[in-house]
Amino acid sequence: MLKPSFKDLLKSSFRSILKNKSRTILTSLGIIIGVTSVILLTSIGNGLKSYVTDQFDALGANSVFISPGKVFNDDGGFSQNSFAAAMVTSFTQKDLNLLNRKLKNSVVMPVNVAYADVKSDKAIKKMIEIDGSTEEYGKSNNVVPSAGNGRWFTNEENNKKTPVVVLGYKIAETLFPSSSAVGKKVIIKGKTLKVIGVVDQKGSSFGGPSVDDAVYAPFSIVSDLAGNENINTFVVRAPTKDAIESTKKEISKVMLERYDKDAFSVFDSSQLLSSINSIISVLTIALTGIAAISLVVGGVGIMNIMLVSVTERTREIGLRKAIGAYPRAILIQFLIEAIILSCFGGLVGVILGGLGTLAINSFFPAKITISSVILAFGVSSAVGIIFGVAPARKASKLSPIEALRYE
Amino acid sequence: MTKSLPKNNSNVILELKNVTKTYATGTNCFTALDNVSLKIHQGEFVSITGPSGSGKSTLMHIIGLLDNPTSGEVLLNGKDISKLKEHQLAQIRNVNLGFVFQQFNLLAKTSALENVLLPLLYSDVPKNQRQEIGLNFLKKVGLEDKIKNTPAQLSGGQQQRVAIARALVNNPQIVLADEPTGNLDSKSGADIMEFFHQLNEKEGRTIILVTHDMDLARQAKRTIVIKDGKVMEGKNA
Repeated sequence: MLKPSFKDLLKSSFRSILKNKSRTILTSLGIIIGVTSVILLTSIGNGLKSYVTDQFDALGANSVFISPGKVFNDDGGFSQNSFAAAMVTSFTQKDLNLLNRKLKNSVVMPVNVAYADVKSDKAIKKMIEIDGSTEEYGKSNNVVPSAGNGRWFTNEENNKKTPVVVLGYKIAETLFPSSSAVGKKVIIKGKTLKVIGVVDQKGSSFGGPSVDDAVYAPFSIVSDLAGNENINTFVVRAPTKDAIESTKKEISKVMLERYDKDAFSVFDSSQLLSSINSIISVLTIALTGIAAISLVVGGVGIMNIMLVSVTERTREIGLRKAIGAYPRAILIQFLIEAIILSCFGGLVGVILGGLGTLAINSFFPAKITISSVILAFGVSSAVGIIFGVAPARKASKLSPIEALRYE
Repeated sequence: MTKSLPKNNSNVILELKNVTKTYATGTNCFTALDNVSLKIHQGEFVSITGPSGSGKSTLMHIIGLLDNPTSGEVLLNGKDISKLKEHQLAQIRNVNLGFVFQQFNLLAKTSALENVLLPLLYSDVPKNQRQEIGLNFLKKVGLEDKIKNTPAQLSGGQQQRVAIARALVNNPQIVLADEPTGNLDSKSGADIMEFFHQLNEKEGRTIILVTHDMDLARQAKRTIVIKDGKVMEGKNA
């Protein structure tokens, strides 16, 4: 039987910790910082992941993309030479016609991209991405202006080469700061185009190019601006989410009739999403690993203080032994003290990490997870046990005679 | 705590038989106790005295079961305990012995009552009885109004009284006092000695007083003088 009982040991450990409040806080500080940073970093990683997932859902869940070159390598990551390949190849009107003919249940949308300066009578935006596509593209990519902000272009306008554009929110703000852009004129490469709509504000995905910075025009207009009828990408909307895989197979079959298998890629947003998520995961794990180093440093801090404490309390240990404490009772008492210190640090760290996550969440996506809390708390108490053993053993091995004589 | 003892030794609690203790100091061997034999009887007030370096501290450590002899036997209630393991000795110290030290050795920032209760933490005494036992002993040493005071809030004499209450709280067979008045002024020291006399005479407690002070030692009913690791006089009363 354990004498004193675990409860008594816990009580006496708590008492001796409470006798030194400032030392307790300083000792736990290392663990507090470690746990806080581990929780914050995993929260940010998780927040990023769910944010990216939401963005992709908004992009249109049923979309399949056909892109020149090899975008993904065989492991599911991004292929190294995708950009080089993309410059070499583009698709043609023949491909569009063929796809339209073979994919009866899907909507095939060609996308052409041109880069040019966009001018209004008040301002100029240089080297803007101008995406040319069809009527269906607006709905499929969730960029149709909402009521009151104009409208998306029609296939008729595309066929007739009507000079109209739809502006991204930020572009419209810059070019027409004082009034609504709808109905105004912009000049691109010497061509005058009428603004028929402004896309709602979407926000940027972490500072990269976004819908807010884009300009949309009918495919035929962008072909004129670019000086060619090349098609950079196809967006194919499958009839249902379940049909995505079969649509992808069909597309591959059609495209293989005309191209080598490495010359094009067929992918859907979930593939893109999982690639991006795996990058975020690796980053999160790496950063969390670095933060975890501070947990170890915190553990060393606890060991340090406990060793000092054993020396400081040598006489106490000697007395306890003289009046009947057997070595293991002393060992457990000091071990409990170390564990209390690190658990206290872990608890404060979890609270600070949770509050920090809430604070960050107001301007950056962050999401706390139970698993990160359990992990951080578990690691911190494990650190307490591991680094508490050495001082506790030292205390339990003290000879009562030597300890009582200690000045 | 009384156990059935062999008849011929009916009132001997502690017996040392040919106890020798040597310490290795580098290449030399230092003999602190040289073939010491002595008996302590139930209800005795014995003092152990001798000049410093005589071996009286070593003798006290062996009597107090804080140390094992190099050779010889230590019999407690007729049982040889010189070969027991550390945790077994701790148990016996807890049940059979009470210590009073020169430095008091009270836990700092801890109330008088909690200090007194400390040995019970390592004993089989049921939890719900501990508080009452502790209060009784504090009352006995005349500190019932100071139970919440920490050592820093008590005088030297009061601190030593708390230490005595702590030594008595387990109702030990032997109270072992190591220079109990060494850190006290003469008045408080005399009070403490008077208290030991009362414990011995009124309650029949066995008290072993270790001191270098011959005058103090003479107050005991029997004095064991030790010199150069050997018992010079008072071996058996």
